Amino acid sequence: MITFFKNDNFYRDASIAFITWVTLVCVYFLIPDPGIHDIIQKVFILGLFALSLNILIGYLGLIAFGHAAFFAAGAYTLGLFLQSDLIINYNLGSYSIPIAILLSILISALLATIIGSICIRLKDIYFSFLTLAFQMFIYSIILALVDITGGDQGLMGGFPKPPFLGIDLGQPFDFYAFTIFISIFVIVMLRQLIESPFGYGLRMIRDNTERPAALGFNNQSHKFIAFIIAGAIAGLAGSLQALLDVGAYPEWAFWAKSAEPLFMILLGGMNTFLGPLVGALIFEILNDFVTANTRYYGLVLGLVILIFVLGFKRGLLDWLIMKIERK
Amino acid sequence: MLKLKKLSKSFGGVLATDNVSLELKKQTINAVIGPNGAGKTTLFNLITGKLKSDSGAIYLNNNNITNLSEPEITHLGIARAFQITNIFPSLTVYESIKLALLSKRNSLNNMWTRFKDHQINNSANEIIELTGMVKSKNIISSELSHGDQKLLDIALALSLSPEILLLDEPTAGMGPEERWQMIDRIKDLWKKTRMTILFIEHDMDIVFKIAQKIYVLQQGAILAEGNPQKIKNDKNVIKAYLGGGKK
Repeated sequence: MITFFKNDNFYRDASIAFITWVTLVCVYFLIPDPGIHDIIQKVFILGLFALSLNILIGYLGLIAFGHAAFFAAGAYTLGLFLQSDLIINYNLGSYSIPIAILLSILISALLATIIGSICIRLKDIYFSFLTLAFQMFIYSIILALVDITGGDQGLMGGFPKPPFLGIDLGQPFDFYAFTIFISIFVIVMLRQLIESPFGYGLRMIRDNTERPAALGFNNQSHKFIAFIIAGAIAGLAGSLQALLDVGAYPEWAFWAKSAEPLFMILLGGMNTFLGPLVGALIFEILNDFVTANTRYYGLVLGLVILIFVLGFKRGLLDWLIMKIERK
Repeated sequence: MLKLKKLSKSFGGVLATDNVSLELKKQTINAVIGPNGAGKTTLFNLITGKLKSDSGAIYLNNNNITNLSEPEITHLGIARAFQITNIFPSLTVYESIKLALLSKRNSLNNMWTRFKDHQINNSANEIIELTGMVKSKNIISSELSHGDQKLLDIALALSLSPEILLLDEPTAGMGPEERWQMIDRIKDLWKKTRMTILFIEHDMDIVFKIAQKIYVLQQGAILAEGNPQKIKNDKNVIKAYLGGGKK
């Protein structure tokens, strides 16, 4: 039993993931506080968003600053699809939600394909700024297309959430269990990706952009695929957020939204796989606690980040692992 | 096997490679010498496809490889180590070599298996033994000594089991003792693998000791070529490079 959990392989990860999910489902009943449930599901949604960005930052060494574009694309795709007549015309019924989520992933991936094909050729600050520029372009489009997106009011009027496979996302428990299940599933797949030869290829590019070509390896296509995967997962996170809020808002495409996963990565650690998820937890708790007690949320967040950057000099999980390894 | 025909390359009017033609014979050790700025590294960059030549052609086993990309040429069997050590700082020696082996097999797009589980351990261990890095196998590359980093750079090239190995100043930045150790290693390596080697080197003693054929570059052009004996006695070389006057 113990040896099973010491072996770093897919089955172990999947087992841990399943146990975590079951535990969190139990937590739902043990702690009947909707506030706590809300924090947990948000941590997973934002954690997914941060983990997807960390493929680029932590493993590829590319500081993408426009990641919210994909988050918003996922959210708006889901909202617009569920509001559309397609559902009635094609009598999609219980298929609506699964199709909407898959469509969100697909559209975000498509957007990442377009943006990535241009940005991936650039390096360093040029890459960062071009991703930012594309994101602000998406933001402007959302604001401009008032008839479709609701402009600065966001996607209003809600949308139906028809039950599927006995899951009714209108029910808090169903939503909680479903969101966490999907997130954990994707996290396990992402872990597989990071530990695969493909994932080590990313580390290779991060460490040295020149040498891989002299080993017969094509950097560009590798980076491009990673960018698309990161965009698709961010899109999934966006679609879950839209399901939670029954709407979508232009701020989700604003540059400040791209900074959020960046903060989470800084807080949790970029060199440990689950760092960004831990970062999302810290971020959410801070958010919840601080906004309840003071108006100076930005100030507190800034101070906390300063403590991590100057004090620990790394994210929490990276710091803990360093401490353990040194012992 | 490797043949360069009238290869030229200029940077903003300066001829870095001037009409260079040469042919490497199978299983030989060849050296390129020349003063700083003679275009030695540029020549390597042209051969490996890192730079594109302005004119001329490169043939590998009678196939024209002039316009192929760097990864393509690498896959055809030309591997190189760099003058300024070019490794992966955060990865261990073993991981780096395994990555090179997987790259050679085009397996780095595989997303469904674990890197750790890949069964190329034997080949990786062989390379590690061949280069004498057994002790540093699990050390993170950035923590290796300068000499070991150089060795790792060469080991990465060897992992591709190339037909032709290009070594750009394998002893750069080393003390005298370390230098000769490295040269013995390279000679040893050549005896075991019999791959064709082309190396750049500043130290004349080293060059004359291990090279079977020497090319002297000056201002991008080949000034002289031949075996060590011939180069030692070449008037042009003595005048231009070997410090003249002494004889």
